[in-house]
Amino acid sequence: MDRRKFLKASAIAAGGALAAPYILPSGRLFAASGARIVDHVVFVLFGGGIRNQESVKQQYLANQGLPTQGNVMENMLTGAKPSQNLVYTQWNPILSNSLASQGTLFPEMRYKTGPTGHYNGHTVGMTGNYTETGLNLNINPEFPTVFEYYRKHYNPAKNAINAWWISEGLGPYPSLNYSRHPSYGSQYGANYLRPATVFASQLGNKYYGDASSFQPDDVNRLEKVKNFLDKNFDKSISDIPGVNNVRADMEAIKDLYIDILNGVIPIDWPLPNGVSQSELTGDLINFAAAWQVLNRFKPELTVINSFNLDICHSDFTGYIKNLHKADYGVGWLWNKIQSDPVMANNTIMICMPEHGRNLMPNNLYDNNGLRAFDHTSDNNSREVFSLIVGPSSKVKQGQVVGTSTTPVGESIDIVPTIAHILGFHNDIPAGLLPGKVLNQAFV
Amino acid sequence: MCIKKYVKQMSMQPFYRVTYMVLFSLIFISCKKKVIEETVYDNIIYEVNDVAVYGSNVEKTKQKSTNQYISILYTDLFNQAISNNELAEISELTLAMGDKQTSNELIISHYLNSPLVNIPTNSQMRTDVATFINETYVKFYQRYPTEYEKIYLKKMIEDDPLMTAENIYVAFALSNEYYFY
Repeated sequence: MDRRKFLKASAIAAGGALAAPYILPSGRLFAASGARIVDHVVFVLFGGGIRNQESVKQQYLANQGLPTQGNVMENMLTGAKPSQNLVYTQWNPILSNSLASQGTLFPEMRYKTGPTGHYNGHTVGMTGNYTETGLNLNINPEFPTVFEYYRKHYNPAKNAINAWWISEGLGPYPSLNYSRHPSYGSQYGANYLRPATVFASQLGNKYYGDASSFQPDDVNRLEKVKNFLDKNFDKSISDIPGVNNVRADMEAIKDLYIDILNGVIPIDWPLPNGVSQSELTGDLINFAAAWQVLNRFKPELTVINSFNLDICHSDFTGYIKNLHKADYGVGWLWNKIQSDPVMANNTIMICMPEHGRNLMPNNLYDNNGLRAFDHTSDNNSREVFSLIVGPSSKVKQGQVVGTSTTPVGESIDIVPTIAHILGFHNDIPAGLLPGKVLNQAFV
Repeated sequence: MCIKKYVKQMSMQPFYRVTYMVLFSLIFISCKKKVIEETVYDNIIYEVNDVAVYGSNVEKTKQKSTNQYISILYTDLFNQAISNNELAEISELTLAMGDKQTSNELIISHYLNSPLVNIPTNSQMRTDVATFINETYVKFYQRYPTEYEKIYLKKMIEDDPLMTAENIYVAFALSNEYYFY
């Protein structure tokens, strides 16, 4: 090879080496993630354990020996509300068109394996992997969460302030913002918030109410000294539990919390006009706070749950009431998103219960003589639905996919579907996600 | 006033004289006792001295739990133990936030607003920077600073007239080493 040919070949090889990361489908170094459908995903784990009978099948009290059927979820589902034997106060829907009409409904999804426990269901929904984890609670999940996939694989990388997990309850749920997977973990985790503790209890006011974010000059001094101190210690920040935000984001988060606690931001509650705040549930408080986070930070990936429906273990009437209220909260949240100049028409919302409930009731009756239902992994408790809502140019509108005889979709499909929406599904290493993208929903 | 009364009563009968003497003694002893109590009280505060227990930070290998962190922070800022109730409340609040450092910063900010917080004034810090640094290392890290740490931090403080003792305390409380023992 002469010198000229050598130089030419070298230049081509060097160019190829530089370009390769951009064209390799799995190249992570420089490759930008794939095309997105929208820039924001809100995943509502419509939880607490909901039977398809009272949700998508709209059977209301038909399984209680009363001949009354009807739709108690008028914001999410299309169908006439019950007209008799009312055990709940009917709130007028906040949406003029149901979410089902603004997206695709998968009425017969399956939660195929593993115990139908709340934490299991949440874990499955947020990791895209079934889990056998039973009593071993309060530990981070084995498989990476959707937040970690998003933050590790989306390129350019996004700060933690773009990913939020906002839960109604504490217990083991704070552990779901990142996994213990050795290739992922807290450095790719989401911000976690339980609004009922921080904003709705006395604790937030007592300990954060008089706090203040650091002033910019103080931040510089603080960081300067802290950096010096940290350089002299061999344990890195990754050894400290929890997600870590960059300094500017930390101050922004503190500002939001302090503003809410001090009443600088008036809280808009998801209640119909004229309804007292005494009607608020933990779920509605959660939706209200979630909106504050969405409104301030416009995160790209947010997971919110409801949980109060779990009262169904002992109180079927309370379950219907809370189902109706949570439905209102979801509709209210969608309305808020559509009123936001950044998120409107640029957001896809996915709703799915973490699991169902049993076909047969337990031995408890509520004050209306209605029977209660547990969730002990029978086939009925494995039946869930999913609703994917978004702009008509992106999401098929008014479509129903799957029937009870030909169910379509599984609980483990939500994570790959979110990854598909945000354009990083192809970047996730093979073997981590057994589910598939619910492509039927998209235009 | 007590003395005037005592002099006036000197001319009275022995019985009354003795009685007044006893009363006077009681008053005198009471006053004396009060002084003793105050002295003891002062001793209680100032006898709680931090003690350096680590030869170096390499010995710190275990991470503090949330409760340990908050509990130790409270003691370092207020020179007294946190109540069980407050510890439980803050622990719950911390659990409700995913970013523990943000949560800790809010708690620290809350504590710094307390009139009872025990932080040296800036003038105290600048009067004797070397002692301030030494005591801060012992208070927060339970070890003495290395020569390098002394020199570097002293320079940092002296080069920035707006650097406060509060800035230094917050930085120590949020530093990685403070999370370990």
